[in-house]
Amino acid sequence: MKRLFSVALGILTAIGGFVDIGDIVANSETGARFGMSLAWVVVVGVIGICLFAEMAGRVATVSGRAVFDLVRERLGARVALVNLVASFFITFLTLAAEIGGVALAIELATSVNYLLWVPIVAFCVWLVIWRVKFEVMENAFGLLGLTLVVAAVALWRLGPDWGGLLHGATHPVVPQGEGHPTWWFFAIALLGAAMTPYEVFFFSSGAVEEGWSRADLITNRLNVYIGFPLGGLLSLVLMAGATLFLEPRGIQPGHLSQVALPTVLVLGKLGLAVLLIGFFAATFGAALETGLSCGYSIAQYFGFQWGKFVRPAQAPRFHLVVLVSVLAGAGLILTTLDPITVTEYSIVLSAAALPLTYFPILVVANDPDYMGDKVNSRFTNALGSLYLLVLVVVAVATIPLMVLTKAGS
Amino acid sequence: MAGRILEAGLHLLDRQLIDKDGRLAGKVDDLELEFPSGGGPPTVTAILAGPGALSRRIGGRFGAWLEAVANRLRDGDDQHPARVSFAVVKGIDSAIDLSVPKRELETNRLEAWTRDHLIGKLPGAGDAPD
Amino acid sequence: MRRPWVVLGLVLVVAACTGPVRSFPVYESKAGDTAEVVASAVETARLAVDAARDNKAHGRYLTQVLVEAEEDAGSAQGTFDGIQPPDRQADELRDRLDELLTEATGTLAELRIAARRGELAELPKLAAPLTEVAEGLHAFAEDHA
Repeated sequence: MKRLFSVALGILTAIGGFVDIGDIVANSETGARFGMSLAWVVVVGVIGICLFAEMAGRVATVSGRAVFDLVRERLGARVALVNLVASFFITFLTLAAEIGGVALAIELATSVNYLLWVPIVAFCVWLVIWRVKFEVMENAFGLLGLTLVVAAVALWRLGPDWGGLLHGATHPVVPQGEGHPTWWFFAIALLGAAMTPYEVFFFSSGAVEEGWSRADLITNRLNVYIGFPLGGLLSLVLMAGATLFLEPRGIQPGHLSQVALPTVLVLGKLGLAVLLIGFFAATFGAALETGLSCGYSIAQYFGFQWGKFVRPAQAPRFHLVVLVSVLAGAGLILTTLDPITVTEYSIVLSAAALPLTYFPILVVANDPDYMGDKVNSRFTNALGSLYLLVLVVVAVATIPLMVLTKAGS
Repeated sequence: MAGRILEAGLHLLDRQLIDKDGRLAGKVDDLELEFPSGGGPPTVTAILAGPGALSRRIGGRFGAWLEAVANRLRDGDDQHPARVSFAVVKGIDSAIDLSVPKRELETNRLEAWTRDHLIGKLPGAGDAPD
Repeated sequence: MRRPWVVLGLVLVVAACTGPVRSFPVYESKAGDTAEVVASAVETARLAVDAARDNKAHGRYLTQVLVEAEEDAGSAQGTFDGIQPPDRQADELRDRLDELLTEATGTLAELRIAARRGELAELPKLAAPLTEVAEGLHAFAEDHA
């Protein structure tokens, strides 16, 4: 019984923790511009992240060490350094975007300018990382993030033309009046948002934090294979809302308040209140994860003690990296750069860095020294390799497309 | 520990160092080799760890930058990278197990400094994770 | 290791640059883009007013939406007005668009003021001109973007 409860908790936490500011912005902007024609990208992204997250979780569960930790041993200091620099930079940018996202969510709830909230948010993010137990942190924000389901409730209450939505999703055609390069650029951004690198190494380090062992392999798989797709479904709900309310009117959502419009128009004040809790939980949870991931990546490359499973005094450099990252992330947002713009750049650059961050996972998950008999199956390797090929193509295409489409304008 | 022949690249370099209490103590960034006067294969006398050691292996611009950072962080005028004598290596597995606690290692300097001057000063630093 | 950073820097600069406009087609497309952006702001405001009329939102949320819509429209107009029209034909285009933009920003300002004062019942009446303005902007954008 207790087992069932903990499995259910893990799945629910995975669903609620899936969506972050990148997914919110990407899905809403894409739905408003291209309807459901890019829904397939979310599906591709979710399958990809399920594949690699399961691998990363399995590596940590079986070997007792996080994926990033093993990358340097397996691939050497130089290659791992390239991986580190790319991963850290992207994760840091995402951290800044999430801090901005939290501030925007609070601004929407209080009408107090988001910039004033940034220092408070940064402090709270750091404080929670410093003091709150890992599992409590994960469970609390994961479950609270489930409130985003209100957007799905709004959709259901509206009773839209489901056939039409499904048709749009299954017929990926560039809408009239839009260019093909822009469509592909948004596809790349959407993929970057769904497969953000930090999710994978956070998942792996988290497995070590929570002390998973072989007995938890099944839990790992269930969390990933049930939790993540349902989380992806929430992303698609945001896309559908934008398709139904924003696209017909030519509204381009550049503000969180516009993303909330579909829910407001169907469910009113209560719907908005619940949605705001969801936005807050999703972004704050992601800020915690990206903050910790900044620390994990640096500490695991250089080999210093990391983790919340030891006293802070026993992992000083890890905590220092986290602290400096959160401060610098807040600093970036305080330069009054639009947080939505920071988010857009973070997801696009994530897409460009995906092969660098995902390739080592595939290598480590195949190593019998660490994995014993739990190495990748042939199917997993085939699918994983296929994904890496796609990700390389995406990475190569990102910068040229960004220049060509003037970053999707 | 004497006399084992190892493939240094595969079995030693970039491995995690784990101290007596199971704490992570850095990675094998480089090795100190001693070449016997009478010829023959070298023996590993110490493990070198820390940014100073790593910078030499990485090379290039990043290595030079890392070396500069390391020199700044080093107190006094000892210019050599932190050294872990091979005598304290207890076992070589997927990680390198050491027979001493972290605080007795040279490699712990920066960690100790960070704790004493920065992180350790924050309230709750010594609290056990509940 | 430095090259990728230079490229990235260049990319970000290019993406942000507007630069001088020397030909009518380029000016025309910028005008069309501006119309699209302002249309988006106007339509957002219309949806917000619908929500107000159906009592579906607090004054606070509505004010936020309307303030942002006004800001977006105002900044788009400001950027567009700052571009030097290259020829007479462009002058005409500019006059036509400016008429729409001024009416849009003016109405959005009135809506913002009313919302800030809590006069939510007034919003639907004040927003009446927006229907035509929106149509005009959408048509302009289609013709010229």
